[in-house]
This record gives sequence, structure tokens and C-alpha cells, in this order.
Amino acid sequence: MRMFKISHHVPSSCARAIAVGVLAAFLVSWSFTARAEDTAATRQLLAHAIVSEGDEQLKSIAALAESNSDLVRKVLVAWPQDAVFIYQNGDGTRVPVLLEEAQDAEGKAGALRIDNNQPLTDASGQRLTFAAGELKAADTDNKLRKAIKNTLDLMTLADADPQARRSAVMKLGGTQKVDYLPILQSRQAKEKSPVVLKALQEAIAIIQLKSTDSALRIEAITQLGKLNSIGSLGLLQQIAASTAPGDAKSAAQNAASSIESYISRVNFVGTIFRGLSLGSILLVVALGLAITFGLMGVINMAHGEMIAVGAYTVYIVENIFGPGLWLSPFGLHIHFPALNLGGWQYESYFLVALPLAFLTAAIAGLILERTVIQFLYRRPLESLLATWGVSLILQQTFRLIFGAANVQVNSPRWLSGNYTISDVLLGYNRLFVIGFAVAIVIGTWMILTKTPLGLLIRAVMQNRNMAACMGVRTERVNMLTFAFGSGLAGLAGAFLSQIGNVGPSLGQSYIVDCFMTVVVGGVGNIIGTVCSALGIGLIDQTLQPFIGPVMGKITVLCGIILFLQWRPAGLFVTKSRSLEG
Amino acid sequence: MKKFFKISGTVLCTILLNSRGICAEDTVKVGVLHSLSGTMAISETSLRDILLFTFDEINKKGGVMGKKIEPVIVDGASNWPLFAEKAKQLLEQDKVACTFGCWTSVSRKSVLPVFEKDNGMLFYPVQYEGEELSKNIFYTAEAVNQQATPAVDYLLDQGKKKFYLIGTDYVYPQTTNLVLLEYLQSKGVPVENIGGGLKKDDAGNVTSAGKYTPFGHTDYQQIVGEIKQFAASGDACVINTINGDSNVPFFKEIAAAGITSADCPVVSFSLSEDELRSLPTKDLVGELGCWTYFMSLPTPENKKFVSDFNSWLTTEKYPGVIKEKRVTCSPMVLSYDGVYLWKAAVEKAKSFDVDKVREALEAGVEFTGPGGKVTMQKNHHVTKNVYIGETKADGQFKIVKTFDQVFGEPFLKGTFAKKTAAE
Repeated sequence: MRMFKISHHVPSSCARAIAVGVLAAFLVSWSFTARAEDTAATRQLLAHAIVSEGDEQLKSIAALAESNSDLVRKVLVAWPQDAVFIYQNGDGTRVPVLLEEAQDAEGKAGALRIDNNQPLTDASGQRLTFAAGELKAADTDNKLRKAIKNTLDLMTLADADPQARRSAVMKLGGTQKVDYLPILQSRQAKEKSPVVLKALQEAIAIIQLKSTDSALRIEAITQLGKLNSIGSLGLLQQIAASTAPGDAKSAAQNAASSIESYISRVNFVGTIFRGLSLGSILLVVALGLAITFGLMGVINMAHGEMIAVGAYTVYIVENIFGPGLWLSPFGLHIHFPALNLGGWQYESYFLVALPLAFLTAAIAGLILERTVIQFLYRRPLESLLATWGVSLILQQTFRLIFGAANVQVNSPRWLSGNYTISDVLLGYNRLFVIGFAVAIVIGTWMILTKTPLGLLIRAVMQNRNMAACMGVRTERVNMLTFAFGSGLAGLAGAFLSQIGNVGPSLGQSYIVDCFMTVVVGGVGNIIGTVCSALGIGLIDQTLQPFIGPVMGKITVLCGIILFLQWRPAGLFVTKSRSLEG
Repeated sequence: MKKFFKISGTVLCTILLNSRGICAEDTVKVGVLHSLSGTMAISETSLRDILLFTFDEINKKGGVMGKKIEPVIVDGASNWPLFAEKAKQLLEQDKVACTFGCWTSVSRKSVLPVFEKDNGMLFYPVQYEGEELSKNIFYTAEAVNQQATPAVDYLLDQGKKKFYLIGTDYVYPQTTNLVLLEYLQSKGVPVENIGGGLKKDDAGNVTSAGKYTPFGHTDYQQIVGEIKQFAASGDACVINTINGDSNVPFFKEIAAAGITSADCPVVSFSLSEDELRSLPTKDLVGELGCWTYFMSLPTPENKKFVSDFNSWLTTEKYPGVIKEKRVTCSPMVLSYDGVYLWKAAVEKAKSFDVDKVREALEAGVEFTGPGGKVTMQKNHHVTKNVYIGETKADGQFKIVKTFDQVFGEPFLKGTFAKKTAAE
């Protein structure tokens, strides 16, 4: 049940994100109107900053930090990229301008004066246009760029987005310049967001590490230790290893070791979470196989391609919600119409794609069962060869339809992001897969145990002949079971499209993992599959930090071989048709 | 029966007449040795296409010393021993004057002995790890100091102090990162600020720097979690030598962890415009790339090159040439430059003889290509411009920094430490 709680968080977090976004939009528009009257002065100052030179210029750039106008931000970003231009007026004055985006037929663009927001005109009032390279860009040097960057940093301290504020605060802290202290402290008084407040405390303490006042310095060191500031660990270790006075040194050692033990706690929790999420992915991809291979005894090498069918379905749905899609397989021209949706409508494409992925993969499975597998139920080795052939055919078909290269699937925003709870990253997509795995395991379990179809499935799997004698239409049950297993593979593919590649060989990269999970769990046992998936995931993630991903994977595989020597039937031994020989 | 022969004879003639260059007697044979099937085909067929385009362009203007170029295209099939066999076939059977080919370092290493034994000439166009110099190979590719070290210079200039190294586990990332480790240390970056972990042998020498994942790795949670902590101080960046489609899960994980290019940029050495076609570029906006050519270069040479290539694509009938959504990228342009450098050298030497052409190349021929002026050096590498670009949402790069005319230096290991000692 706890898992379910987490999965419920996902939509609510999404709703919260929307609410925050709307609020932020309001704040931004409100602040614009509030600042409307000072823009004329700001514009003058900005223009002056661009054309003046030397200290005067640096001073005006610094003064711009107070303005907090969007124009200043835009110009200051454009300036070091050579996108702010200087127009030499007839009377020798220099006018800073921005070129407009829109170009006329000759590729020339009009210019906007930065000082008064009017189009640049010549003496007769005629609008002037310029081709690329005709105007001289306002040049910058390193000193100037640094000043511009500082001003921009100060401006982001007042950004509407707390994440942007937080990273600006950390950047200013990282410079360890005492000049920033008053700015950060004044911001601290105004700041509401707890995340940014913590960052402010951290940044202020990091700057105070440079302080000459030893009491203040020690206070800063202890403060950083208390805040569990991972970012300052390096600095603290430097102090601990340096020739600083004794009490500062020992304070730094204490703080550093407390942060280190905090990091190891974070890593421990993080590893468990990552293990769970990797296990859930294994479970999601292997569950379909647990049914087709585990329950039905069909060695289905084309299981991976059913995953790919699901992933490609997501790709098509995403494109229908977005810009549309043209496919030209076998000389045909198939056009998927574009809905051109934006915002939350586009973001919700994944929810529509999920059931469709299940359906298409289930239909593909149904066709596969009717055309190939139904003739091979009593010949597992032939079914291995035949399905392997089918898998090759399907891969080539994907190549012909979608091209040999991988296709792009953009993740919806609500699946790309994370909760950070005291430095433990909980990615939305990872939370989603854990919830998703729980949901489909429970769903599968319900179908198998609580529905009439499930009863028939279990009856046929346990003893086909007896079930047939009792009047069960075993052929139909086989067909539906196989389609169901394939549909689950399609769901797995839908999810995999959000975290990795979608390409013709997608299935190949997961088929080994699938069989591994099912075999370790004990063929014919869904609970076994759940346990083995989570077990393999946790062991893999625990080993990785110590011996690296390459050795980690090898160790897991060796471990599985040894395990199967010891328990050839896997974790949970069940009697099922496939073991009758 | 007679009729059958007549028909088949006509068919045969048409085939012969239609195939490239066979009917022109005054031709020079040139080898094209790339994988047109197998895992590397996605990348390497682009190079075959650009070579065909280049040959057509040269032939239209009268060929090389009056002779039309006749390409002999063979398929290395992503199979390294087969590369060596095909190279042998090109040199001994077809007797090609020059060969353009190879992508992976391992394919180059496997053809190298063949080219040396038969005294052939190979132009190699893809960024590589250096530490090699054969008299029979000309490396138009980016050497480490034309890609990796300029990128580091740029990041240091941006105030980055911590560097996390991550790559795919094979020779190019391993060697490049070892060179970078030395380079970073010579620039005063302490070893604890280099992330990813070091491996040392018993004598305490570093044998491997950075974090490595196998080809096709999909689970980057742990590594990205580590990067997040590494970057907590806000002055870190990631140097990415992950090859192939593992970049997709890597960048999706980076995006999910909320690591933005503003806080902790990722500079990738294996992602050019061609690779970006199959990556979710939305997740990569603002990340950095470093190459000696970008499709977005505003020079007239490049504009002409891109439009000529696109119009060539619309008319080209060669089987397997994909026509939709094509882009140009650095390995393609370096292949293109290679052909023109060879042409210039042949014309200078007034001979197709490998030894004479080599002498001419070593003496320094130059060509102004789409990426700017390229000059062949005595050490078989090429002096050229190096550009740093930021990825845009449309899969193109916005150029943020140019290093003019960087000398290509293949042997870098051990040179940086010495320099600091001398200083």
C-alpha cells in the first residue's frame, strides 16, 4: 500500500507544479506593471553602460543589478554573445541597438534602439535595416563579461523561479567574495522559499569561511556542518588539512566528518531507492514473459520485440499529439495527422499512449500466437527457434518502417524532474515506474485470481487436458493469455521509451534481463519474478558504487549462474506444465 | 536462347553504362572503406555519402589531374577483421591510389598493418585518441588537443573548477581521459576535483581515470546521483565520452535529476549533428560540443557546401542513400577535406604514386573547406580551426568560441607534466 501512496503523489505533484507555474506567471506579469515607470531611466542607464568605457562602464553595469527588468536581462545575455550592436550616428554619437528577429526578403532586419525602444531611423525618419555583419557588435572583454555575469547573477537572485534563485545563490557563495555578503543577507530577510533559504545560509557561511575574524569563521564552519552542506565539503576538507589555527581546524574536521556521514546516509537511502526503481523496471519488462514463458511454457524470444512495439506506439502517439508523422514503409505513404497540442494537453500524451501500447502489443501477440505459436505448444525447442526468427523479422520491419536510427521520444514534463528530500533524489520517472510496477503486478494478480478468465487460465496452465475435458476452450484461453502477456510487454515498452532509446534493437537489450529475472524467480511463479526483479535491482545498485557498472554487471551475472547451480528451479519452485517435460 | 543472350547482353550493358565511371577509360581508382551494415552503419554510411558527393563534385570540375575519380566501395560490415581483408582487396586487387575510410579506432588499428605492408594510403576522418602515427595513414581527424583540451580550456575559462569524467569502456575514452587527467593537473586542477574515480596499478601509476560504462548501458541512476553530489558546489562540469545510444538514458537521467547546463554543463565529444538526429535534443539544450566543424558555421564555403550536398542528395540514385532530414557534421567534413587535400597533393606531386603524394602532403598542402582552412602537417595530422558550440533544440550548435588554426598533436601523454616541471 505504501507504494501506492507514492504513485498517488505523482499526479498531485503535477497539479502543484501547474499551480506554482500559474502563480509564477501572475507574479511576473504583476512585477512588470509595477516596474513600468522606471524603464525609461533603466533604458538610459543600459544604453550608457553599453557605450561608455572603462570604470564608468563597469560602474553602470553594476548599477543595473538594481533594475530587475527583463530588458536588461535580455540585453546583458545578448551582449557577450555579440548580439548587441552599435550604430554610428551621423553626428558621431554611438547608438546601441538590438536587431529584430524578423528579416525582410533580402535577409535584412530592422533595429530597435535600446535607449528608447524606438526603431532606428535615419535623419528623414526612414526606418533603417541591416544585413548580418553590417553593424558592428558591441565588443566585450573578460573583465566586462565578468561584470555582466555578476550583474546577471544578482538579478537572478530576484528570479521568480526558486530553483533559479537557489542556483544563483550557490554560485555567488561559491565565489567566496565578501562583496556578496550584504546582498545575500538582504535577500535572506526577504526570502520565503525554504530551499532557497537553506542555500542562502550555506552561501553566507561559505563566504564567511574566508573571514579573518576567527570566531565568525568557526561559527561558519559549524553552521556548514549543521546544514549538511555537500557543496562545501571540499572547502572544509581543505581547511581541515591546512595550517589553520587549531580550533578552526578541529571544527572543520568535525564538520567534514559529519557531512561525510550524512553523504553516506544519503547514498544508502539513494541506493535502496535506485535499486527499487531498477528492480521495478526489470519487473515491468519481465512480467509479460513470466506469463508467456512462466505460465504457458512458450520460450518467446520475440518478447523483446513486443516491448519495442509498445515503445513505437508511444512514439506515434507523441507525434500525433505534436507535429504529426509521415512514415513510408514498403513504398506506402502513411500519414498520422497532427493535433499540434500544447501545454498540459500535449503533456498528457503518455497517459493516452499507455493503454494503446498495451492494445497494439496485445494484438501483435495475438497474431503471433495464431500464426506461429499455436502449432508449437508441445514443442518448446521449435518454439524457441520460430520465435527467434519472428524477432529478427520484426526488428527488420521496425527498420523498414521507422528507419535504422533511434527515434526521439520527448518525455512529458511531469515525468522529468525530481523530488529532493534532504539530498536524496527521487526522480518522477523512477517514482512512476515503482508505482506502475506495483499497479500492474496487482492488476495481473487480480486478473489471475479474481476473474473467471483468470480461473480458466490457471486451469489450462495446470492441466490442459483436464481443463479441456471440463469444457474449457483451451485454444481461446491460450490465445488470450499470450495476448495478455504481450500486452504487458507493450506497457513495459511504453515506460522504457521515457528513460531510454527507442530503436529497432530495443527489445534485444532487454530480452536477456527478462529471461534472467523469470528464471531466477522460478519459472511459473509471479511472486518469484517480483522477488528476483527487486533482488537483482538492489544487488546491482549496491555493487555499482564499489566496483563500477562494468564489473557490477559481470558480478551479478556470475552470481546468478552460481545461484542457479544451487537452485536450478529458481527462488520459488512451482509445479507447472513447463516442468512436466 | 539467342534472344535471351541478346536481352541479357543489353541488360548487362545498361548496368555497366550506368555504374559509376566504368565506361570512362581515363580514371583513377579510389577506395571507400566504411561499414555499410552492422552497428556502425548508422554513422558510417553518412561518410560514404559525403565521399560520393565529393567525388562527383571533383569529377564535374574535371577530376584529379584530368582523371575522373572512380570509387571502389567496400563494406567493412562493422567487423574489424573484415576491415583488414577489405583493405587488402582494395590495395592488391583494385590497386586503388588512395583510400578513405574507417570510423572506430579498432577498425583503423586492424587495417594499419595492411596499409603499411602494401604501402597504401588511408585518410582517417573521425576524432580519435592519438598516440599513433603511421607513414601510410593521414589523420584528418581531430586529435585530442583539437577537441578535448580546447574544451577543457573553455570550461576553465568559464570558471569551472571540478571535472567529472565519464565514458564508454573502450580505447578512445580511456586514452582521452588519461590525457585529460594530465592536462587538468598541469592546469592546476587538484586530483580530488576530478570526478569519476582513478584506478592505479601496484606502482601507483594511474591506469584509468573516470567512470566507465559498457556499450549499450541503460541505467545511469547511480552515476548521475554521484554527479549531482559532485556538482553541489556549483563549479563543476562533466566531460562525456559516452559513445552511441547510451547517451539517451544518460541525458534523460541528467534532465530528471535537475542538473542544468547552466549549473553543470556536459561537454560531449562523440555527439555531432548526425548523432543528435536520434537524440531527444530537448534534454540537451545548452550542453556543449567541441568539433572542428559545425553545420551552423556562417562562412560562405560552408553555406555552399551544405546547399550543394542537399541538392546532390535530391538527384543521387546510389542505392541506400537516405535523403530525408540529412545534416552535415565534423566527420563528414573531415572526409571531404581529406579528398581535397589528397587531390591538392596529387596535383602538386604530379603523380598518383603513394610515395610522391605522401611527400607532397608532408610538405604541407592546404585547402579551405567548410570548417575553415586546413593544412596537412609533417606529422600526418591537420592544422585546423576548433569550435565550441552549445546544443540548440533543433539539433544544431550555436558556436560560442573559436580557436583559430590549432596544430594537431597526436602524442600528448606525458607532455603536460613535463611542461609544468620546466616552468
